[in-house]
Amino acid sequence: MQQGSGTTKFVRADGPDKVTGSGRYAADMVLPGMLFAAFRYAEVSHARIVELDVEAARSMPGVLAVLTDDDVPDVRYGAGVADRTLFARGVVRFEGEVVAAVAATTPEAARSAADAIVFEYEELPAIVDVEQAIEPVSPLVHAGWEDYEASTERGHNVASYSSITLGDTDTALAAAHTVVTSRYVADASHAVPIEPRAVLAQWEGDKVTIWSSTQVPFDAQAGVCETLEMPANRVRVVVPHLGGGFGGKCGFHFEAHVAALARAARRPVKLVFTRREEFTAPDRRREGMVIELTSGLDADGRIVARTGEVLIDCGAYIADGAFFPQVASMHIAGPYSIPNVSIEASLVYTNHQPSGSVRAPTAPQGCWAVESHTDELAETVGLDPVEFRRLNAVREGATGPSGQVYGPIGLLDCIDAAVASASYGTDLAADEAVGVAVGWWPTFAVPSGAYVKINGDGSGQIITGAQECGTGSVMTLCQLAAEEVGLNPEDFQLVYQDTAAGPWDMGATGSQTLVNNGRAVVAASQQIADALKKLAADQLEASPDDIELLEGQARVVGTPAASIAIGELAAIAAGGELLLGHGSGPPPVAPEISATCVGDQGMAAWVAPQFSCHAIRVKVDRDTGVVRVLSVAAAHDSGTIINPMGAQGQVHGGVLMGIGQALSEGTVYDDRGNQMNPGLLEYKLQTIADAPPISIDFVGVAAPDGGPRGSKGIAEAPNVATAAAIANGIAKVVGARLTQLPMKPERVWEASSGAAEAGGR
Amino acid sequence: MQFVIAETLEHALELMASGSRPIAGGTDLVVGARQGKEPLPDALVAIDRLGVLASIDGGTGEDGEIVIGACVSHATIAGHGDIIDLVPGLADGSSLVGSPATRHVGTIGGNIMNASPAMDTGAPLLAAGAAVEVASTRGSRLLAVADLWLGPGQTSVDSDELCVAVHIPRPGPRTSSAYVRLEYRRTMEIAVVGAGAQVSLSDDGSVASASVALTAVAPVIIAVQGLSEVVGLQPGEAARTVARLASEQSRPISDLRASDRYRRHTVGVMASRAVLAACRRAAGEEIAVPVNRSEGIGAGYPGDAVANTTADGVEL
Repeated sequence: MQQGSGTTKFVRADGPDKVTGSGRYAADMVLPGMLFAAFRYAEVSHARIVELDVEAARSMPGVLAVLTDDDVPDVRYGAGVADRTLFARGVVRFEGEVVAAVAATTPEAARSAADAIVFEYEELPAIVDVEQAIEPVSPLVHAGWEDYEASTERGHNVASYSSITLGDTDTALAAAHTVVTSRYVADASHAVPIEPRAVLAQWEGDKVTIWSSTQVPFDAQAGVCETLEMPANRVRVVVPHLGGGFGGKCGFHFEAHVAALARAARRPVKLVFTRREEFTAPDRRREGMVIELTSGLDADGRIVARTGEVLIDCGAYIADGAFFPQVASMHIAGPYSIPNVSIEASLVYTNHQPSGSVRAPTAPQGCWAVESHTDELAETVGLDPVEFRRLNAVREGATGPSGQVYGPIGLLDCIDAAVASASYGTDLAADEAVGVAVGWWPTFAVPSGAYVKINGDGSGQIITGAQECGTGSVMTLCQLAAEEVGLNPEDFQLVYQDTAAGPWDMGATGSQTLVNNGRAVVAASQQIADALKKLAADQLEASPDDIELLEGQARVVGTPAASIAIGELAAIAAGGELLLGHGSGPPPVAPEISATCVGDQGMAAWVAPQFSCHAIRVKVDRDTGVVRVLSVAAAHDSGTIINPMGAQGQVHGGVLMGIGQALSEGTVYDDRGNQMNPGLLEYKLQTIADAPPISIDFVGVAAPDGGPRGSKGIAEAPNVATAAAIANGIAKVVGARLTQLPMKPERVWEASSGAAEAGGR
Repeated sequence: MQFVIAETLEHALELMASGSRPIAGGTDLVVGARQGKEPLPDALVAIDRLGVLASIDGGTGEDGEIVIGACVSHATIAGHGDIIDLVPGLADGSSLVGSPATRHVGTIGGNIMNASPAMDTGAPLLAAGAAVEVASTRGSRLLAVADLWLGPGQTSVDSDELCVAVHIPRPGPRTSSAYVRLEYRRTMEIAVVGAGAQVSLSDDGSVASASVALTAVAPVIIAVQGLSEVVGLQPGEAARTVARLASEQSRPISDLRASDRYRRHTVGVMASRAVLAACRRAAGEEIAVPVNRSEGIGAGYPGDAVANTTADGVEL
C-alpha cells in the first residue's frame, strides 16, 4: 500500500505551543479595559415576545451596554434563505436564540444584568417532529417565510428541497427480482469541541478587530459586514489557536453581537461560552434524520433501482444547511452503480436548535442507513455483504447514481484492503462479528489564495487565508512550498488565521484546505521558483530551464558542481527584485452528470470523490446491550497522501468520533424541543480510553481533478462509514437490525431481546 | 466566602460547629455548585491536609478491623495491597470512580457523605457491613452505612459532624467480594446501575453466606433482602437467584441514562456477575481490580486486566 509521497516527518509548528500550554486561545486573551459579555436566551423553543425591557439591566452597576434587535441594523441574513436576525425579532424559535446581549465590567455583573432583563412571552406550539412539520396542517416555524429572500426550493416548513432523478424507477422496481424497503431514524448529535467558543472585539475608529474561535474567519467576517453594514476592509477577524471545531465552529455566529457590544460600550468586549451554551446556542448541530429507502435487485444481486425519501431536521434557521438535502440524497444513493434512482430530501424547519455542518453533514447518518440497508439486500439475495458491495460498487469508467462517470478511483481497493486488514471471514466468538461498510464524500473545489515570500536570509514565509481547527492541515502547506522552491518544510513559517493578512479562503471546512489552499501555495511558490531559477541562471551562466532547486541549492541539471545556495540567491534578491509570489489557481471544474436535480445545490456532481471502506470488529454483551469496538480497519481513497502523519491523525480522530455517533452520542429532547443533555456527563463522548486499535490503509489513487499531486480531502471521510460498519457488526451478533442512531446499549438490548424472543438469534 | 485550612482535627470540628462545611477533594462540591445544584457554602474548612484522616489500617488491630481515613483518595484505595487482599470489592469500586484526576483528589469520605445513589464505593461498603465514624465537638460515634443514607444527597449525620473514617469488619476465611457496574464508556463514567457482593464459601464450594448491595436502582444504595435463600447453593445457581431478587427489589427511575425497565433488568445482570466474581475470589482465584476491566464488563476490553491504560498500553 502506498503511504503517500511525503517522506519527511516534521513537527507541527503549533505542536510545542499546545503541548506545553504556552499557546493562547481566544478565551485567554485580555485587553486593557476589557468588558465581559453575557447573552439573554429565549429558553423556550417557540414563543411570541410580549415584552422585552432592558432599562433595569442598563442601570445596573458595571453595565456599559445592553443590546436587542432595536439596537442593530435591520438586516435579515442567511445562506440560501434570509431567515435570521442577530437578535430575536418578535418571535423566538429555539431555546438558544439570543434575545439580548450585555457588556459589563465583570462576567458576574454581565450575567446578573442579562438575568434582570424583563422578557415576557406567550408560548406557541413547539414544532419538533419533521414528519408532522411538513403536513399542511402543521403550524409554521416561520409564519412569514414566503416573504424571505431565498434561492432554495421551498415549501411548508421546508427550508430547502432537492431531488436526484436518474432513469425510471417505477418501471425498474416493477421488473425487479427482489424489492426491499427500510426505514431508519438518526437522532441529532453535536460536534463538541473541547474549547467552548470565545469572541473578543476591539474597535479603533471605524475599524474593528475580532478575535474569534472560528473555523471560518472569512465567513465570520462576511457575517459581520452584512449584519453591521460594514465594508470587508474595516472588519478584521483573527483566530488564535483553535481548541477543536469538528464543524461546530463553522459559520458566522456571535462575532457581530460582540462587535456591536464593543462599539456601544466603547471598550473591548469578550464573550466566553459555558459548555451548556456551546451545546444550545450556536447554529450548529448534527441534524436528526428520517430516512426511508427502497431498492430493487435483479436475480444476480445487482441493484437496479433505488428510491428514497429523507427528512432532515433543520431546526429553527437554515444556517449553512441549504445543500444538506442534496448531499444526503447522494449518501442514500451510495457509491453504487444504480441505473434508476429517485431520491427526494427536505430540510425541515422545527423549533430545535439550528443544524449546521458538523464533520461530513448528513453523511454518517445517511451512510449508516444505506449501509444497513445494503446488508439487508445482501442477505435477501444470499450474498456475502462484501461480495454484494464488490458487485455493485462504483469503479473507474462506471456511472454513479447521479449519472457521473468516474475516472480513476479506489473504492474496490478500499474494500480489499479493509477486509484483509480485519481478517474478515475468520471464525469469531459468538458474541463478536466484523461489520463492513463503504462510504464516500466529495472534494469541495472552491477559490483560495496565498502569498509566499523568501526573506533576504533565505527563510520562507507563507501568508495564507487558510484556517486550521486542530487538524494540522495548514502545516502541510510548508511541505508543498518547500518542494517547489527546494527548501525544507522547517525553513517556512506560516502566517494564517487572519483575514487582514491572507487572501480569501473558505476556512477549515469541507476538507478543503490542502486541495484548494495547497493549489494556491503551489502556484505562489512556482512564481518564486521561477525567480530563483532566473537568479541562479545569471550566477551560473546557464539557462533558467536547466536549473533545478533541491536541498537548499540551485543546480545546473547534469552538472552538480555548478550550484549556488538558495540563501545566497535570496540575499541577491534582497538587494533588487524581491522574492514574492502570490497564487490562487483555477479550482477544478465540476464533472457532468446526467441525473435531473430539482433544487440543485451543486452537490450531485463530485469533484475528486473520496471513498472509504471500514471493517470493524465488535463484541456485544447481549445481556446489557453494551457494544465494544475491538478493532477498526479503515481503508481510504483520499488520492495521493502528501503528509501521512497528518492524514493518519485525521483517520484516528474521524473513526473515534464515528464510534461516538454510533454508540453513545445523541442529543435528547423533551417534547417542547429543549435539549435534555447539554453537558458532558449525559452527552457521552468517547474517551481516549475507549479508542480501539485502528489500522489504516491509504490506497493512494492519484486524482486527476484533485489538489496538488493528485490529492483529495481527508478530514471528514473517516467518520462517514464508521457507524455503518459498527451497525452491521451488531446486527450480525444480535440477529436484528437497529433502526435508530445512536445504537445505545438499551436500544441494542431491546433489539437483542426482541430477536431472542422471536427465536431469531 | 470564608476558606480556612484546618490545622488539626479539633480545629476542623470547631469550625464545623460554627457552620463551616468540610472540603477535601472538592470533586462533588465544586462540580455541584457549577452545575447549579447547590451554591458553594459561605464557609469552608479544608480537611485535606489532616494526616490523621489520610491513613489506612489494613487490619493490624486486635479485632482485625480495616480502618480507612476519610481523606484517603480513591486512587490510594484502588492500589492498596491490604484492601485488594481483604475487600477487593471496594478496590473495584474506587478504581472506577470518575477520571484519573477525580480518583487522585476525590476521597472515600466525600463519596460516602455525598450520598449519591450512583456512588461506586457505597455498594461494596454496604455489602461488607461497613460503618462510618463521625466526629464533632460533642464526641464521636459509629454508624452502620446501612443507617447513613436517607435519600439522594441526604444522610442521617448532623451538620456539625465530620466523617473521619470508615470501619470495615475483617472478612473471614474463604470470603471475598467484588463490585461491578454497568457503564457506557471506560472512563469519566458514572454507574448506570451497579452491584457489590461479599460471599463466604463452604468447603464444598457452596455459598455459606452472601450479602449484595445495589447501586442506582433506588434513592439510596440498597441491600438485597432474603439472601438466606442462596445459602447452600453452588455459585452459578446462587448468582441466578441473586439476579432475580435484585431485579425484583430494585425501584429504579427512568432518566437520560436508562429506563426503569432496563435498569431493573441490568441490575440483576450486574448482581449475578458480582456474586460470581466474589465466589471465584473467595475460592482463591485472582481476578484483577477492577472486575469491570479484567472480565470485560461494560465498556472494558476482554482480558484487559490493567486499569486505566488505553488499548495501546498508554497509561492514563
